[in-house]
Amino acid sequence: MENLSTIGQSLSRPDAPEKVTGKTRFLTDISVENMVHGAPVYSSIPFGKFNNIDISKAEKVDGFIAFVSAQDIPGENQVGVIISDQPLFADKTVRYIGDSIGLAVAKTPGAALEAARLVKVDYDKKSPYLSIDKSRDATGNFIHKTNLACHHRLRNGDIDVGFAEADTIVEAHFKTPYQEHYYLEPQACIAFPIEDGRIKILGSLQCPFYIQKAVARIFGLPNEKVLVEQAPTGGAFGGKEDIPSEICARAALAAMKVGLPVKVVYHRFDDVQLTSKRHPFQMHYKVGVRNDGTLVSAKILLEENAGAYATLSTVVSYRAAVQAMGPYVIPNIHVDSNSYYTNLPPTGAFRGFGSPQAAFGHERMMDIIADKLKMDPMEFRLKNIVKPGSQTQTAQRLNESVGAEETIQKAARLAQWNSFNPDRSGRYKHGLGMSAIHYGNCLGAAGWHMDGSGVNIKILPSGDVHVAYGLIEMGQGAETVVTQMTADALGIAPSRIRVLPTDSAQVPDSGPAVASRNVIMTGNAIRDAAKKLLPVLKKAASELIECHKSDIIITNDKVTDNQSGVDVGFHELCDFMSRSNMSMEFTGWWHTPPLEYNAETGVGEAYFTYSYATHIAKVRVDTLTGQVFVDKIFAAHDVGKAINPAGIEGQVEGGVAQGIGWAITEDFIMDRGVVTTPNLSTYLLPTALDCPEVETIIVEKSEPDGPWGAKGIGEPSIIPTAAAIANAVSSAIGIQMNEIPLTPERVLNQLNKTEIKK
Amino acid sequence: MANPLFRISLTINGQPVQADVPATLRLLDFLRYDLDLTGAKDVCGEGECGACTIFMDGKTVNSCLILAVEADGSELMTIEDLSHGKMLNEMQQAFVDYHSVQCGYCIPGMVLSGEQIIKDHGKPDRDTIREDLSGNICRCTGYQKIVDAIEFAADKR
Ligand code: FES
Ligand code: FES
Repeated sequence: MENLSTIGQSLSRPDAPEKVTGKTRFLTDISVENMVHGAPVYSSIPFGKFNNIDISKAEKVDGFIAFVSAQDIPGENQVGVIISDQPLFADKTVRYIGDSIGLAVAKTPGAALEAARLVKVDYDKKSPYLSIDKSRDATGNFIHKTNLACHHRLRNGDIDVGFAEADTIVEAHFKTPYQEHYYLEPQACIAFPIEDGRIKILGSLQCPFYIQKAVARIFGLPNEKVLVEQAPTGGAFGGKEDIPSEICARAALAAMKVGLPVKVVYHRFDDVQLTSKRHPFQMHYKVGVRNDGTLVSAKILLEENAGAYATLSTVVSYRAAVQAMGPYVIPNIHVDSNSYYTNLPPTGAFRGFGSPQAAFGHERMMDIIADKLKMDPMEFRLKNIVKPGSQTQTAQRLNESVGAEETIQKAARLAQWNSFNPDRSGRYKHGLGMSAIHYGNCLGAAGWHMDGSGVNIKILPSGDVHVAYGLIEMGQGAETVVTQMTADALGIAPSRIRVLPTDSAQVPDSGPAVASRNVIMTGNAIRDAAKKLLPVLKKAASELIECHKSDIIITNDKVTDNQSGVDVGFHELCDFMSRSNMSMEFTGWWHTPPLEYNAETGVGEAYFTYSYATHIAKVRVDTLTGQVFVDKIFAAHDVGKAINPAGIEGQVEGGVAQGIGWAITEDFIMDRGVVTTPNLSTYLLPTALDCPEVETIIVEKSEPDGPWGAKGIGEPSIIPTAAAIANAVSSAIGIQMNEIPLTPERVLNQLNKTEIKK
Repeated sequence: MANPLFRISLTINGQPVQADVPATLRLLDFLRYDLDLTGAKDVCGEGECGACTIFMDGKTVNSCLILAVEADGSELMTIEDLSHGKMLNEMQQAFVDYHSVQCGYCIPGMVLSGEQIIKDHGKPDRDTIREDLSGNICRCTGYQKIVDAIEFAADKR
């Protein structure tokens, strides 16, 4: 029988029609009755203490209702998600310009903003730490108990022996900058006053269960007393992972105080100044290699600017440490990954979680070494690339689903890597650059304790199927793949399926919607639910058709007795089940497999599986203006199995665009803790002219623990891009570009310096 | 002192509208908050992103840069009325079919800008589409599938 499964097909998005007609109500578009508005009051100094908060001017603003601050908190004044270092409202000490002091509540958004600006705070200033170097070298007057927010290390093999074996040792220093998420919809939520002892939150968010726990902690309530629902969310990229917890908690306090629903929408300026960004890294690589190109030893130091609070720095630091040398075999390696507090906006979750930074380090390094060895950068990579049976840098044996090599070969073939031989005599210099990466799927050893997710599948008498899941749709296409996977698992038509908006009351805590884990976690949970559901369906069908249940086949939306050939529609079966009063609701759960990992040495199974990717950038550098143009990106991704190929292309094209922004156009600047690039005329997001055509190549090396063989794609899409571009530019102009963004000024500067030296 | 109000009369999505508005009210806020037409979005508020795009007298404008009083006497069309009551027009259908939508926040502005591109160029090539789309920011898609959709819709017309 022909199988009409949509797995592997580009089913169109169920949410698209509402989005193209403007009907979708994002959080910012939602108003509820009697709603009032909140605006944040925050520190105007980077570091110091405050004594007095004067709201007398704010109170005079027409429409002013209330001011909420630390003294309104009934529970614990703490929102640190991993390390408890961040008060919800500053308690006498402020640690960055943007540190929260209170929330002004008023009848209109404008009045709330005006009142917030009029709150006066008296400060005793301390001298701030505004760089990694200053923070690391401090001897007292620390930002918290110490200035080191967290540290991860890897000690595998013996690097001294390794370096002694090496024919060449290469050292280099790299720097990567901030990146602002600039999700188009700003941070936004509505908190409702307590009803039946329960608090309800509706938000533009990524991790409903983080918010649930954070609000419960602030109120001193059990988690189940907090209900969190996700509204359609206009982009997140990690920026709505932990940050909404604090915004929702403040709104909830305000709602409790004024007894009305409180909406908070961050003004863009506040959003940029207050919320987290991508960690800037400075990295030192020392790598030893044999003459034949075999990597033998590496000593790597990664230093990260964590900003005023740790937020998710530990996760970023961990990921960067265990992926620091990329998808290559290297027997001896030491990595230290240190995150330092500074008196700057906190840095945290951003698509890739430290991986794009580490990738910039290892992939620039690979090109620099290849150059020293006079080897082709692709051949050098292929010589060291991990294959089935190889060990990673953390001594994890890789068995299946290792498509690294194939991504390099396929990308290179399409880019005509071997025949690229540009004329470099003119004003425009052309270059081709390659970058290969691996990305540990899901939360890995460091986050294993919360790496479980669930679904709840409900069959309705009409034959419709409702799926509640604990992760979320933030634009990446979760709803679409959840629809496809559920339809396939049950053998029914995708049109029957409705994926419900994520609601903490409908599913158990499923952990955060991060780490490219949605397809794997939710897909496996769907398979688990289907395992329980199918026998029930078959038994019911055997009663309805009057046959043996082992003869029942459900496929293509039909329920068939294989013996007699008699069939009924799926909806008829559902109707029968409902009339027979049978159970029609099933939960599914999946937890990532156990990992052997030693946190002391960093050796072991860091993640249960890896996605692999290779990007090749084709660039053109204008040596007169320093401008870098990306003419093409070839992007090969091993995704295990493409559930929805167009969705994967969309992720890759979008990830590449963000990578281009980080590598070239997005120059985030602060002056003594004040963001001086808070808007789109100063912080340049890539436009349709900056983004090239991307050729996506899908490689499918099936992952046994992935649903239908699938692995994650959301983050791998951005990780290799910047390094590929920097490699291409370096090769085009013959200068090693070890710092991004590659703004015209930076490129021109380097060109001039080299000119002068010549 | 109370803010003086000004009477404006205009046509929005084919309907006559009269309102008394303060001189400082942005057209975008008038549409979003007074009329509950929330398809146009407020992202940058300074004419850099195109999320607030609407049609004013037959041409796309950034409604965040226009005051409501300036729209007096004009004819506006917002995304809500693009398909004139039909489910989707060809441009919207192309956005669905070409997988051009991710989070969707930029999409109303993109669809309307796509309409303007076809008006201006008929059957533009991809470079022209990219050029004319460069006032619309999308943080999710990398634009490629949006260009695909506009190219297809232009070809069909
Ligand atoms: S909101 Fe009008 S152009 Fe950005
Ligand atoms: S689809 Fe999200 S900003 Fe364009």
